[in-house]
Amino acid sequence: MAEISLKNLTIEFGAFKAVDDVSLTVKDGEFVVYLGPSGCGKTTTLRCIAGLVPATSGDVLFDGVRVNELSASERNIAMVFQFVSLYPHLSIKENIVFPLKARGVAKAEIARKLDWVTDVFKLGDELARYPSALPPGARQKVALARAVIRDPAVLLLDEPLSAIDEQFREEMRWELGHLQRQLGVTTIYVTHDQREAMSLADRIVLMNDSRIVQVSVPDRMFFDPVNVFAGQFIGSPSMNLIDLEPVAGGLRLGSSDVTLTAERDRLPQWALSARRPLKLGVRPINVHLTDDPAAGVVLPVDDVFSVGRERFFSFRIGDTIHQGVDKRSSRNGSEGRIHFEPEGLLFFDAATGRRVGAEDAA
Amino acid sequence: MAAADAPITPEGQAAAHAARQAKLRKRSSGRLMIFGFLSPSLAILLFMVAYPVFSLVYYSFFNFSALRQATMKPVGLKNYTFLLSDPELWERFVFTGKFVFICVTLQMLIGIFVGYQLQKNFRGRDVIFTILMMPMMLSPVVVGFLWRYMLNSEWGIVNFLLSSVGLPKVDWLGQTNAALWAAAAADTWMWAPFIALLATAAFRGIPETIYEAAEVDGASPAYRFFRITLPMSAPVLFIALILRLIDSFKQYDLFVALTGGGPGSSTETVSYAVAKTAFSYFYTGEASALAVILLLIITGLSLILVRHLTKMSEKY
Amino acid sequence: MTNSRTSMVDLVTRWLILGLLIVYTIYNVGPIFWLILSSFKSRMDLFTMPPKLFFTPDFSGYQSVFGVGAAKDSASSVGVFDSLVNSIIVSVAGTSLAVFFGTLAGYVCSRFNFRGKGDFMFFVLSTRMLPPVAVLVFYHLMFARLGLADTRFGLVLVAIFANIGLATWIMKGFFDGVPKEVEQIAIVNGYTRMYAFTRLVLPMVKGGIAATAGFCFIFAWNEFAFASILTTTQAKTLPVKISAASGATGIEWTQICAAGVVLIIPVLIFFYLIRKHLLMGMTFGVLGRR
Repeated sequence: MAEISLKNLTIEFGAFKAVDDVSLTVKDGEFVVYLGPSGCGKTTTLRCIAGLVPATSGDVLFDGVRVNELSASERNIAMVFQFVSLYPHLSIKENIVFPLKARGVAKAEIARKLDWVTDVFKLGDELARYPSALPPGARQKVALARAVIRDPAVLLLDEPLSAIDEQFREEMRWELGHLQRQLGVTTIYVTHDQREAMSLADRIVLMNDSRIVQVSVPDRMFFDPVNVFAGQFIGSPSMNLIDLEPVAGGLRLGSSDVTLTAERDRLPQWALSARRPLKLGVRPINVHLTDDPAAGVVLPVDDVFSVGRERFFSFRIGDTIHQGVDKRSSRNGSEGRIHFEPEGLLFFDAATGRRVGAEDAA
Repeated sequence: MAAADAPITPEGQAAAHAARQAKLRKRSSGRLMIFGFLSPSLAILLFMVAYPVFSLVYYSFFNFSALRQATMKPVGLKNYTFLLSDPELWERFVFTGKFVFICVTLQMLIGIFVGYQLQKNFRGRDVIFTILMMPMMLSPVVVGFLWRYMLNSEWGIVNFLLSSVGLPKVDWLGQTNAALWAAAAADTWMWAPFIALLATAAFRGIPETIYEAAEVDGASPAYRFFRITLPMSAPVLFIALILRLIDSFKQYDLFVALTGGGPGSSTETVSYAVAKTAFSYFYTGEASALAVILLLIITGLSLILVRHLTKMSEKY
Repeated sequence: MTNSRTSMVDLVTRWLILGLLIVYTIYNVGPIFWLILSSFKSRMDLFTMPPKLFFTPDFSGYQSVFGVGAAKDSASSVGVFDSLVNSIIVSVAGTSLAVFFGTLAGYVCSRFNFRGKGDFMFFVLSTRMLPPVAVLVFYHLMFARLGLADTRFGLVLVAIFANIGLATWIMKGFFDGVPKEVEQIAIVNGYTRMYAFTRLVLPMVKGGIAATAGFCFIFAWNEFAFASILTTTQAKTLPVKISAASGATGIEWTQICAAGVVLIIPVLIFFYLIRKHLLMGMTFGVLGRR
């Protein structure tokens, strides 16, 4: 196990900067998830840590030792790939012990380790079979077993669950988290699925356009996004984003004639006096329908629909459709007023997209 | 199945009926397609393989010459017993075996080595690739003559190069052993590129992530090559092996041009012996018997090899 | 980790590989170079020791191949140029038909299961395995009886037979690479299987057809054993003709080398054009889906 540090890591492919000046330290035994849309540089970063892609500049450190010049086979890392990369000509057993055999580990030791992972992953019945005989989920489990069998310094996982059926993915995700805590191995996990990130990570590293956007624990990532991108990428359904225009006594919502007021909607004072144009970010769970005529504002409600136990509704500001959660017990009066929870209101700089708080509003 | 789910309405019945009709049509059109698409090949095979092979078996029981077709004397198994007790024939088998062994070994080793170098992407690869493949594009007769020309003991380029670095000249085509190696060198020159071609295709078929996984797993380049690359391309390499094994076993053209079977009859392959018996001596009956023996060996060999190949590729 | 010993081993391995590659390249390219050079040498220059790298080029070899200039053959047999024409006709017709039939058979073998499929596949492959001289013992008689001896038509027949196995097997490999859904979707949409085959599947294996044709052409174009036994005068192909190019003055090396160069050019062009498909598709479908 090891502590992994990236120092000003930059990776270029020709003129394209895939990773731009990324610095981060992953603590020993920590589970860090790199999250971001496809093409944001998260997989490239992972492959660079693995030693499969060279750094253009900057350093990769394992326990404080620079490993830039070491090849993947010399770094003592283990990796699970997005697309199943089991050796098709080898049996499951041969696949699992491959890393040990490749390093010339003694036979008795191999047998001992094999027993151990077979036990942990419950692979006893599969050992003699071949990869093609297994469903994708089970194959990825074997890949994971192959990865952890030799106590790697760090376990690198590149979207390991994305090629697996929805049903099995849930189960694997749970098992993976459990296993990581059990083994205590430093783990770096790459995904574009924010739900995976939220449920697995000790810390999430959110990336976009080759740069780190935000690094924080899952909860803060949700409640405290640093910018519009972070706010909208995390959470499902996605955060509503509404243009604000300062008017006397309040802020007007986008192109509507509806105004949120300081008094009724408890807007913070600084937001009313902000010099720069702002945008309002509010998650659907913080937008409700209410029958109280003293609360909320009137906006056209398009639709109310249920997903399982939760009831969502959509409303319109200008041409843009937004979503909220209807928490009322009765279903009557869908033509209700819309209430924005004051605790859920996030303000962003309309020009830069950066989160704006009381301290930097002026 | 579909009919059971359909509601019992006129429309539903009509739909079910149409589905049944379509299924019927599909099945019969499949049959028609199989028959139509296979019959030309089958006709050619029957006319050009089955008929000649049966005729060969028939003729092999006769004392018969193509020059005097009127006199055909049945002799039973005499042709076979004569051939199998003829030490010269055994010598031909031994020579053919040696030739096959040397050729296939050299070609597989060189082909896999060169193929592995060629699978990498580098600038000008396509041109270099095409140039390296040139020997196999030549006619075996031209190859035979070219090597005969280069291996001439007095004015050939090979002996000139040997003597210019102080090595003794070799009478390549005048000595039995040297002639064997000369023929093997020519055949290998021609066919190692073919193995390289198939090997390259097979190696490039292995996904990149497999190599990455192996690298991450700590496998050295040599370990990767022997534990990943080779076994994963084994079925294709095995096909290459089968083709070369059979082809060098039946080699004829090269020897016509290169050695003419000489010196003496020391470089006559079994194929060469069949041709000589049939078309120089016109012992057609005896040649038929020899051809049948050759066919049996080759068919048996390829049956075993192909069966092994099927077993091999089933695993994946 | 990276210490001086492993990097020394790496270095030695790299130089060893480079050295072997150079040796092989000389072995591979040298004879071709010598063939081309010799095709321009006059009889005098051919036997000069040490061999000349620079000399006045002599085109008599090429002139005789293309039937111009002094080197004319006797009237009893076809000229070298006529044999070139024979070669072209026989190999183009033979290749086209072999690929056509092979494509049909390969498709059926890839898509349908029918009784005796394995036997058929092996039977087809046997055409590639059969030693030509073995069947020639009978062909010799059969062709004479049917009036096919010494005809181009007879040789075309042989070219089809000799290549149909290879064509079927390679094409089956390429068809295996086309997903079955292609036809299923077409059939669901009311098209016939035949339509799906000709309009959808065939265009997807164009490259495969080209590669197959390339291989068959190489074999048909260079074929010697059948053509040498089954022709006597009129239908001789170029490989057969040059093997007899030993006149009163010994073997006509210049003419053989020139013919060799002429023979390799179409194959070379063809090969270069289809190289991509040769690299990607020549796995006979035995590697399965990965």
